[in-house]
Amino acid sequence: MSTVTPDVGHPGAGGHDHDSHGHHGHGHAEPSPLSLLWQLPTFSCDHKVIGLQFLITTLMMLMVGGALALGVRWQLAFPWERMPILGDTVFKADGGQIAPETYTMLVTMHASVMIFLVIIPILAGAFGNFLIPLQIGADDMAFPTLNMLSYWFMWPAIACFGASFFFGGGPAGGWTSYPLLSALQQAAPGSGMAQTLWLVGLTLIGVSSMMGSVNYMTTIINMRAPGMTLFRMPLTIWSMFITAILQAFALPVLTAAGFMLVADRTLGTCFFIPSGIVVNNAAPTVGGGQPLLWQHLFWFYSHPAVYIMLLPAMGMVSDMLACMSRKPIFGYKPMVYSMAAIAGLGFIVWGHHMFTSGMNPALGMTFMVSTILIALPSAVKTFNWLGTMWGGRLQFNAVMLNCIAFVSMFIIGGLSGIFMAAVPVDIYIHDTYFIVAHFHYVIFGATLFGCFGAIQFWFPKMFGRMMNDTLGQIHFAITFIAFNCTFFPMHLLGVAGFPRRYADPYHFPYLEHLLPLNQFMTIAAIIMGFAQFLLLANFFGSMFFGKRCGRNPWNANGLEWTTPSPPGHGNFDIPPVCYHGPYEYSSPLSHDNDFLPQTEYVPLAQRQAIAQAGH
Amino acid sequence: MLRCKMTLPHWSSFLGGLFVLVLASGCSKNPEAQFAWRDSTLELLPKAQDAVQQSITEGFGTPHDLVAWDKLPVDFGGVQGVVQPAVEGAKLSATEFQVQWDGTEDGIGAGSELLWMTGALAKSKTPTATVISYQPETKTLRLKTKNDAPAQGDRLAVGLGHQLQLGRMVYMKNCNHCHGVAGDGNGPTAQYLNPRPRDYRLGLFKFTSTLSSEKATREDLQRIVKYGIPGTYMPSFLLLDSKHNNFHETTAVVEYVRWLAMRGEMEKRLVDELSADYSQTALADEAEKEKKSYAEAKSEYDKARKAGNKEAAKPESAKSLTQLKKAAGEELAKYLEVDYPGTLNDTADFIADAWKRADDPASRIVPTVTRVADDAASRERGRLLYMSDKTKCYTCHGAKARGNGPAVEDFWKKPGSNETYAKRGLHDTWGNPLPPRDLTRGQYRGGRRPIDIFSRVYAGIKGTPMPAFGGTVLKDNDIWDIVNYVMSLPYEEQSPSAKPAAAPHMAATEPVGQ
Amino acid sequence: MGRFWAIFFILAAVVTVGFSAIGPEFRWWFPGDGLAHSTLGKKIDDLFYLILIIVSVTYVGTHIVLGYVLWRGAGIQKSDKVWFSHGSHALEVIWTIVPSGILLFIAFYQMDVWRNYRVKAYFPKKTAAVAEVTARQFEWRIRYPAPGKILQPRPQPDDIYTVNDIRVPAGQPVSISLRSDDVQHAIFVPGLRVKQDAVPGLVIPVWFEVTDTGTYDMVCAELCGWGHYKMKAQVVASSEEEFEAWKVNAAKEQSYDGVPQTPEAVAAKADDE
Repeated sequence: MSTVTPDVGHPGAGGHDHDSHGHHGHGHAEPSPLSLLWQLPTFSCDHKVIGLQFLITTLMMLMVGGALALGVRWQLAFPWERMPILGDTVFKADGGQIAPETYTMLVTMHASVMIFLVIIPILAGAFGNFLIPLQIGADDMAFPTLNMLSYWFMWPAIACFGASFFFGGGPAGGWTSYPLLSALQQAAPGSGMAQTLWLVGLTLIGVSSMMGSVNYMTTIINMRAPGMTLFRMPLTIWSMFITAILQAFALPVLTAAGFMLVADRTLGTCFFIPSGIVVNNAAPTVGGGQPLLWQHLFWFYSHPAVYIMLLPAMGMVSDMLACMSRKPIFGYKPMVYSMAAIAGLGFIVWGHHMFTSGMNPALGMTFMVSTILIALPSAVKTFNWLGTMWGGRLQFNAVMLNCIAFVSMFIIGGLSGIFMAAVPVDIYIHDTYFIVAHFHYVIFGATLFGCFGAIQFWFPKMFGRMMNDTLGQIHFAITFIAFNCTFFPMHLLGVAGFPRRYADPYHFPYLEHLLPLNQFMTIAAIIMGFAQFLLLANFFGSMFFGKRCGRNPWNANGLEWTTPSPPGHGNFDIPPVCYHGPYEYSSPLSHDNDFLPQTEYVPLAQRQAIAQAGH
Repeated sequence: MLRCKMTLPHWSSFLGGLFVLVLASGCSKNPEAQFAWRDSTLELLPKAQDAVQQSITEGFGTPHDLVAWDKLPVDFGGVQGVVQPAVEGAKLSATEFQVQWDGTEDGIGAGSELLWMTGALAKSKTPTATVISYQPETKTLRLKTKNDAPAQGDRLAVGLGHQLQLGRMVYMKNCNHCHGVAGDGNGPTAQYLNPRPRDYRLGLFKFTSTLSSEKATREDLQRIVKYGIPGTYMPSFLLLDSKHNNFHETTAVVEYVRWLAMRGEMEKRLVDELSADYSQTALADEAEKEKKSYAEAKSEYDKARKAGNKEAAKPESAKSLTQLKKAAGEELAKYLEVDYPGTLNDTADFIADAWKRADDPASRIVPTVTRVADDAASRERGRLLYMSDKTKCYTCHGAKARGNGPAVEDFWKKPGSNETYAKRGLHDTWGNPLPPRDLTRGQYRGGRRPIDIFSRVYAGIKGTPMPAFGGTVLKDNDIWDIVNYVMSLPYEEQSPSAKPAAAPHMAATEPVGQ
Repeated sequence: MGRFWAIFFILAAVVTVGFSAIGPEFRWWFPGDGLAHSTLGKKIDDLFYLILIIVSVTYVGTHIVLGYVLWRGAGIQKSDKVWFSHGSHALEVIWTIVPSGILLFIAFYQMDVWRNYRVKAYFPKKTAAVAEVTARQFEWRIRYPAPGKILQPRPQPDDIYTVNDIRVPAGQPVSISLRSDDVQHAIFVPGLRVKQDAVPGLVIPVWFEVTDTGTYDMVCAELCGWGHYKMKAQVVASSEEEFEAWKVNAAKEQSYDGVPQTPEAVAAKADDE
């Protein structure tokens, strides 16, 4: 049996922890564990503080988005019955029974919060900020002030989203905001001021993301430590780099589209509005626009955004898997190329969201081929992860479990994607719960499990303390089981023709028998939701009560593990020099240890000897 | 007066209850849906308010505890019958006996609840037995009960109120969020809709097949529920027809809506009866008036005194609001004791009669002549009538029938007052703006059959400025001419030359996918 | 604990597969009798099951590997040597080429169904345009040409209207013109595997051939506002004769003038003619 608990490097207990706890051995003092935390309320330009600000904000938003999701699930399991909290307060006169536009609001805001305020910022914002300078050996980002602004632009966006709840019950056009529902003020209760605020919020998030991505690209290109060649970068950095490129090229389109939609709504332009449309007996529209244009523009960003929501997690999981398997990553270069391929193809697949929209059918064929092909790099990555674990000495701790879950869930999410890529099948599957199952498997099953792992993996670097592994494993087990109980049945619901965004699907006799299954899913979802308090308790509790650890509790190779935990301002004691790739675990070059830090110099002769031995 | 209380089964599953505890721990008692009271009810003096609320609640119950008041012409569901003698002189069994039914017994099945209405067992106002099975051939009921055996000739009701209960369930699922729990057209969604959802509480429905003074028939309401109202947010519930215990959802919800309308109208009439004398505003107005007249009298008195008139009588001081309230309270107590029961009874009778009458064939509009042939001559006659001063259709609907006649530019007075509406144009009885219909759009809210348009012209549209022309102003064949003219309007612009050439194949499906 | 977690992940995979396998038992599968009732729908189902087989094999395969890897990885002691490898070029080539072959096969195999469904030049030659379906918040309004006439792009005085009730003849390709009055909607008939968005400003023809007479549920599949779930409709497919008869009857009902048809009146009318 391998070691489950990580090597925590107590003073005096650290065996091979070459750069162990700072009280001894090294001349300079380790910073206090909470030194980053105390800087949270400041306009700090330190990338680590900004990363932590992002992380804690997104964790809070995760709970908000989760609460909204439970509202959705509640209505699906107990339609028109009293909804706790929301029903008791807002709909008291109706006996706690919510209105249908409230349901569409819950659906819309759950998606919006989760995508724009959780997944995108937790990956690029939190981990991107925290890890990029540390892993490439830089003392900070290229543009620290821009970086600081990128965080603080989140708050006006959060304020906009928050304020939108108070107009017409909240935006209810779906997170995709298809016109005309989103373009005409009268089209639905949430299509008024709420929708405008939502769009402004979205644009602000875009501004925040854009500032981040410019920064990441510049930093990664210009500020790598000596010896940190492109192909010695950890896959996390590669993924962040590719994500930043995706963001930088796709976001302007969405921003433009957002401005056009706001103009349609407020200035009377008609980019997306055809003529002669009457909603709610308002005056007919003058028109000349095309609703499909929005779909093209929106998905031109939002499809790459799907990879923005996935690639960084792929990178981080690669790092963690290699470390926890005590083995080099299998096929480093194919991993990089496949990420690049995903990003490249990601730009030419947006039309697969529009197969049933009535766009030119010839386009449907092209998009089908490109979409199906994007499964290929994903498959290659999966095989490489399996290859990485193959024959490794697996450390079954909470970090690893979350990473294995990532791989397993990503396989399900990826395979279910093939159904939708195939246009004829998509005709049936489109806008049913099959889609809902698919993207939750990718975004929650893969990305969020990856994030749970990453939080626990890099937590020691943030606070100089370990998170409780037992609690982490319990959290993982509950979340994993409840997650599958919630989302796996959705595949079958989708096949049964269960449409998305229905406040009351049981209105239709052919769906009535699915109610018990939905109640089961809702119970699972509630359990899953409450299990996240374990994560929060572990996260915040461990800041104060976690086991103290040294610089490199996981015996990992990356540059970040050579810094103090938490790193002080400027990160590194001495500017690091990088001698090899980040995944040299169990290398014959590392004599006693099963890891070989990137900073450890190995004479050329030895390296050549090993290379010739055929590794 | 026979009332049968029926408690609504709570339709939440056991799971609902379980997780309510988990999620809402710390929250207070579950809120229950409640019938909102009219603003004018809440304006009444507390005692008067209590009286109205008490009588309405007694007659109609609460959303969770509906009352079937047999005075009302509502088909609450269920069937009544009389216990038949046991075979060959044997004693009647408590659990199995034959029944002679008043009506059809289709609704009876396992699980139906049984209520004793006369005889020794009729002590409880709630059902005391449940049907295990029913044999239609021998008309034999098998029951699960703890009661004693009934006597021959006892009356019983099975499944009483089931239709109303189903109606409420359907209503809460589909209608409540616009029309409101009490049918006040004030559900959470209502404020965003144009036109606003119907407020049933005046007992008025716009599109009916009855004469202008009559209420809507069941069929009229069924049509609206089934086919919706084009051009509004009232959608079609055509497929809302699943059966529960042999009750149709559509039928049930129509009964429930009628019942809500009766409840609302009852409340309104009672309040109207009381509010002239016993409402807070009326008393405040009176106090204001008192004050004013006292001030006038006082100034006169002062003037007289100044002028040296020592005999001028000093005016009595004005009654304060508290005094007025006290006096009104005393009067009210007397009124409630002496007159109110009679008023209540009369009001209920009045409403019940009105609704009963609506379903009488004599109330229905039946053209005396079949539709006049729809030719150019008839349409021209119709057009002339439309433009004539006899009908003045054009003043509202406009000379080109685009719903933009001169009337929409005016400020109109609120009925029964000197105030004008804040907005230009016509308003309906509920006080909402109501533009006249654009007749060229081919959108007919009350239905597009010739008889529907005929009925609109004949009896007008209830609760709106559209007047009734039938019988007095126009003869039936005149109305048909107008109908022919109106129905031709949407197609007028499609002169043969303007018509696109009849495409051979898939004519209507041209521009696609670029 | 390592072995426990290996079993945990294997069990998760087994349970998901088992759950999918029992789904059809509980009707957690295609609605109704589980079969498609249109010509294209049958082909879509075939493609679905083809992909399902490929995907299931891949899923089971990868999870067998995953389970094995975990089980083995849990057993490797600290003293044991791990397999130190940076990858294998041959393996990378294999697992790039093989999946890409399968994926491209899937892509190209789907093409003609899609082409027949959407590309107008490939529509069946004798497609009858039966009706114009206009979606609005929150119902479907349907306009048919009068008996014996063909559908015109603009409303005609003798058109027949229904709401939430599409009637089509079975056994022949028919098309409907899909429009929207207000926001975007989508027509979705699960039993026929038909789905098409109704885009404001466009008229989109949708063709299908119902193979079996019967009634099929129809729903809206694009968020269109608070009443999205209320757009409950049906497609009724009947024989050609029944369809024509229904049309004649509907036309008659629609021109009802409220005058009761007494036997005397009918007789009098017959005398006139």
